[in-house]
Amino acid sequence: MADTRTTERVVPDDDEIVVATTINSRDQVVRSRGRGSRIAGIATSGFLAVYVFWTLVPFYIMITSSLKDAGDAFTLPAEGDWGGALSKLFVFKPTFKHYSDLFTQIDFGRYMTNSITAALGSAAISVIFGTTAAYAISRGRFRGKGDLYFWIISTRMAPVVAVTVPLYAIFKNLSLLNTIPGLILAYTVFNLPFAIWILKGFFDSVSYEIEEAYMVDGHSRWQALWKILPLVAPGLAAVVVLCILLAWNDFIFAAVMGGEAAKTLPVATQGLKSSSGIEWGQIMAAGVVTVAPMLLLGIVIRKYMVQGLTMGAVKQ
Amino acid sequence: MAVETTAPEARARSAAPGPNKPRARRYLAPLLMPAIILLAILSIYPLVWLIYMSFQTVSLAPGAPNEFVGLDNWRHLFSDPQYWSGWKILAKYSGVSMVLEVGLGTLLAIVLNRSRHEKLLITILLMPMMMAPVVAGLLWQYLYNGTFGWYFWILRSLGLLDGGTILGSSSHALWAIAAVDVWEWTPLVALIVLSGLKLVPQDQMEASWMDGAGSVKSFFQVALPSIKGSLLIAILLRFMDNIRIIDHFIALTGGGPANTTKILPLYLYEQSFSFFELGYGAAIALTLLLVTILFGKLVVGRFEERELKPAQKDEELV
Repeated sequence: MADTRTTERVVPDDDEIVVATTINSRDQVVRSRGRGSRIAGIATSGFLAVYVFWTLVPFYIMITSSLKDAGDAFTLPAEGDWGGALSKLFVFKPTFKHYSDLFTQIDFGRYMTNSITAALGSAAISVIFGTTAAYAISRGRFRGKGDLYFWIISTRMAPVVAVTVPLYAIFKNLSLLNTIPGLILAYTVFNLPFAIWILKGFFDSVSYEIEEAYMVDGHSRWQALWKILPLVAPGLAAVVVLCILLAWNDFIFAAVMGGEAAKTLPVATQGLKSSSGIEWGQIMAAGVVTVAPMLLLGIVIRKYMVQGLTMGAVKQ
Repeated sequence: MAVETTAPEARARSAAPGPNKPRARRYLAPLLMPAIILLAILSIYPLVWLIYMSFQTVSLAPGAPNEFVGLDNWRHLFSDPQYWSGWKILAKYSGVSMVLEVGLGTLLAIVLNRSRHEKLLITILLMPMMMAPVVAGLLWQYLYNGTFGWYFWILRSLGLLDGGTILGSSSHALWAIAAVDVWEWTPLVALIVLSGLKLVPQDQMEASWMDGAGSVKSFFQVALPSIKGSLLIAILLRFMDNIRIIDHFIALTGGGPANTTKILPLYLYEQSFSFFELGYGAAIALTLLLVTILFGKLVVGRFEERELKPAQKDEELV
């Protein structure tokens, strides 16, 4: 067993050395247990297959429905007609009509611009202010640091609707309702504490000696921070992406405070439901338009997604 | 704010204070303050407003003054049956989705930990979590739809559903929404538990197996104590999100049928932004915030505990 581990260390499998050993040793244990383990293996694969199926089916139905024209394609087969169901699910003539409708008849181009601006704006503010604050909290020792830190985190955990109530009244007085800057500020309520929380973890893992030596050479604290910034680059990337994700997927803030002028994609998608009858094909197309960019982002930086979504509880 | 010298462990090692010793205290405050001021404007100022609003009847007409009503909103709150039923529905919903998510998530984590295709599987499992909750709600509303919905059709074809639609039934609607939550967020629980499982000492696991204990028994004897912390974090995070995010409810039922899915945050949303009873909304919001902060204390406590321990467990791994 010790041998396996050494080889794994010599040839590291990407970034997950520990993982590789774990799987390896576990497989060996499984192998040594014979027939019973084979049954366990089949049960394991079976469970995984069913779970993956359950996860993906809604995506499949969303995408295919967005490509189906209205009418026959949307009717269901008679109850219990499984064969008919299969052909309905897989055989249809795809059309991009719903997608082009979204951008020609409805203003989805503008809603997308709104979504992008709000998400990027809030991510930029959060990562800039979050970096300096996280650095200070990571390096500093001062009275009330624990309380300060808790206040920051609890802001992140506040119920969205509860925050919306006072912000609505305040933004109304400041004429920030129905504006993109208003939305950016609203998203910053959650994104800034989140950025501080995640980045503090990254700064904590950078040794203090690097900056200390640098500062002894006569450089300032700001220069020292600038110097170690490359070391926390993965953290910065993760925070930017997760701030974008949170702002992009928000519904409540944009629905209450965005109005028509600052309407974002999720609000526009939900809005399709109320307008003159429900056109499911169009709603599914709008759903795909809203979800696809985030899915791509998620697949590209899967590792940091995991860390961010679990609030840093999972470090990979 | 008195900022003192820094990084305890580094300082302990290089204790000799040289003449050019950087004086940390002077430089940290300017780094910290911009974020703190911004956050204070965005959180403490609104909180003060919220408290103030809860004693008012908030008028939305431009220029019209708010009216001070003393404790009226609070009195109303305590005698409002819909408020208390909002808590009850929230507890029922959170309880059921939590049991399912923790059960399925733990199973999933164990299976993932044994799988050769861990990365690919995690990528697939992350997909629902990337989806805007309101879009997930709309998608599932379509799946549940009584005329076009595939899941409705499947349930009917299997004979699991009597007459009526899924979301129109006061006995099914809440569980149908819980299923959406399970679909979207079980992988989150699985990922957190998986990170805990990776820290389980392999030697102990093997020893337990060699001793002839079944894998179920080994799990409870060896793995469970190690992943208890992870499980608790997962549960707390999910519970907080159940209070935070009500997009599924807005998309799927809007609180109906007959208020059976009107969890408290949704009731708050309705009072504040459908009826524009912002003063009453503020009182409800304050009670929700209070509960959230109490849970937040627990979450932060767990995280800090976890920060202190992994090093020691990593050593056992190697």
